[in-house]
Amino acid sequence: MNRIRLLIPAALAVTFALPAHADNHTVSQVKKSFSVPVVKAKVGDTIEFRNDDDFAHNVFSLSDAQSFDLGSYKKGEVRSVKLAKEGVIEVECAIHPDMKMKIEVKK
Amino acid sequence: MRLAPLAVMAVISMSSVALATDEAAPVPAPRDTQNASVVRGGIVYRTYCVLCHGSEGKGDGRAAKMYTPKPANLTVSPFNDAYKEMIIRRGGTGVGRSAFMPPWGDELSDEQIHDLVSFLRELRKTGQSAG
Repeated sequence: MNRIRLLIPAALAVTFALPAHADNHTVSQVKKSFSVPVVKAKVGDTIEFRNDDDFAHNVFSLSDAQSFDLGSYKKGEVRSVKLAKEGVIEVECAIHPDMKMKIEVKK
Repeated sequence: MRLAPLAVMAVISMSSVALATDEAAPVPAPRDTQNASVVRGGIVYRTYCVLCHGSEGKGDGRAAKMYTPKPANLTVSPFNDAYKEMIIRRGGTGVGRSAFMPPWGDELSDEQIHDLVSFLRELRKTGQSAG
């Protein structure tokens, strides 16, 4: 019984000490649009941008929360970005100015 | 009083000559003039290029801060029209230059690319005169 009493706090400590599980989110680009207007994610998650159009896209962000440029890539290709800190990331396509979406990143 | 009919005939005759002269010199339709091409090219530029190259073409658009090398300063570009068109169509990678310049050949029509090159030609003239 005493051993169990000792093990429970230890197990809880290990559980909460582990980093939160990082998730992958996939955002498709189709018909010159992002498949979703907003992705809610957390720090450490990865966003995969998959080009399902017949032409190139160039996903980038200039947001203070995180800026990146995935470069130009063609149909079927996937490029990803790992979320480094919390905040709102506004994502655009350099080739298609009307394409916009947001990533809301929490801790 | 007899002079009046003669004067009228002279005016009509001169007008006919003027009309004939106008018909002899083909006037391009407004949309085919070089000026129209530059105006249309400006619209293409402000839609697709301003992000990196900036509103004045100096390579200082809002995305420029992310890139090394910086986007080209188009007001001092040394390239001729044919090479500019090739860069626009193929992108930087397609001509052995910066990979940050996307290929626009699938996105822009031939007319848009032609108009854009017309606009860039004017932009360079303006940049040189301003400098």
